Amino acid sequence: MALSSLWARLRGSAAGGSTPSLTRATALHLIGFATWIPVIAWFNLHVAELTVVDGNSMYPFMNADRDSSLRRDVVLNYKWAPQEDLQRGMVVTLRSPFHPEVVAVKRVVALEGDVIKTKKPYPVSTVRIPQGHVWVEGDGPPGSSLDSNTYGPVSKRLLTGRVTHIVYPLSKLGPVKWWEHDRPLVE
Amino acid sequence: MISHLLGHPLRFTISTLKITCLAHLALSHALQVSPAQGPSMLPTFTVDGDWIAADMTYRLGRGVKVGDLVLYKIPIFATQNGVKRVIGMPGDYVSLGTPGEPGEEQMIQVPEGHCWIVGDNLPASRDSRQFGPLPLALIQGKIIGKILPWKDRQWAKDGLEKVDP
Repeated sequence: MALSSLWARLRGSAAGGSTPSLTRATALHLIGFATWIPVIAWFNLHVAELTVVDGNSMYPFMNADRDSSLRRDVVLNYKWAPQEDLQRGMVVTLRSPFHPEVVAVKRVVALEGDVIKTKKPYPVSTVRIPQGHVWVEGDGPPGSSLDSNTYGPVSKRLLTGRVTHIVYPLSKLGPVKWWEHDRPLVE
Repeated sequence: MISHLLGHPLRFTISTLKITCLAHLALSHALQVSPAQGPSMLPTFTVDGDWIAADMTYRLGRGVKVGDLVLYKIPIFATQNGVKRVIGMPGDYVSLGTPGEPGEEQMIQVPEGHCWIVGDNLPASRDSRQFGPLPLALIQGKIIGKILPWKDRQWAKDGLEKVDP
């Protein structure tokens, strides 16, 4: 009750008052904007977010100009139900198993039940992916990316989203054609 | 009059959306109260009917220590969450097996960014002894206490005892 009357007084003096105070009007607009912050935050956490890709683990697919520019690629990270309908070849974002605060971009190479031939420095030559896990790798040459070949299969629960579109550079603007990627599981 | 009728349901919808998002964020980032089920944490929590409060600022394993009870995403299941006790943090040496059973002398060092979690009820618990070290990123919060049933309310204890050197 007290809150609503306060609100009415604030509104009344900002909109209907004979001398509308600029400070009041600004404060009102700022409060009005602040009420949207939870909605924006929730949307960025659970629906979609524009993300700048750091590092070269997906080179040359992303950050292809790393040697000639400091500019980095911007992608659309779709975060709704990231664990569902996963396919081999999809580009995903995940919490790095070794560094909880770091979000990494990798490509899904194998799904649960698949048998995959590993690369260096993984200690065993073939691995069957356990329940609820996937195998992720960077696109770059071996050793350029910290991926499943170092930390092993990762739980699907670590996935935070799926990279569906490239937004910047504009020359690459468009959907990610992940199905064109081919990496045989066992050679 | 028309603008009032049109404006009002819209304003109502928008307010509902804002409050829902705020509540969801509070539940996932500040404090969550949820029912606990299953025998894995006996006798700390009963099999059914206990409600526990979790401090979600400990998400991603921030500030988690050995002995803490954590709410975590079970790595081998798609949607289930669990509650277990942290036995080892990165760098600690832990036993792969169960105390008093064959295999208990096998030790590993908990890898970087992971922890080792085990239930209080050793024979009836699915934990790190089955699925291995848990990535800290799968920790959602730290259990701070039991709320319901109200007569059994209490803060969570880490179970560690100080010993004189």
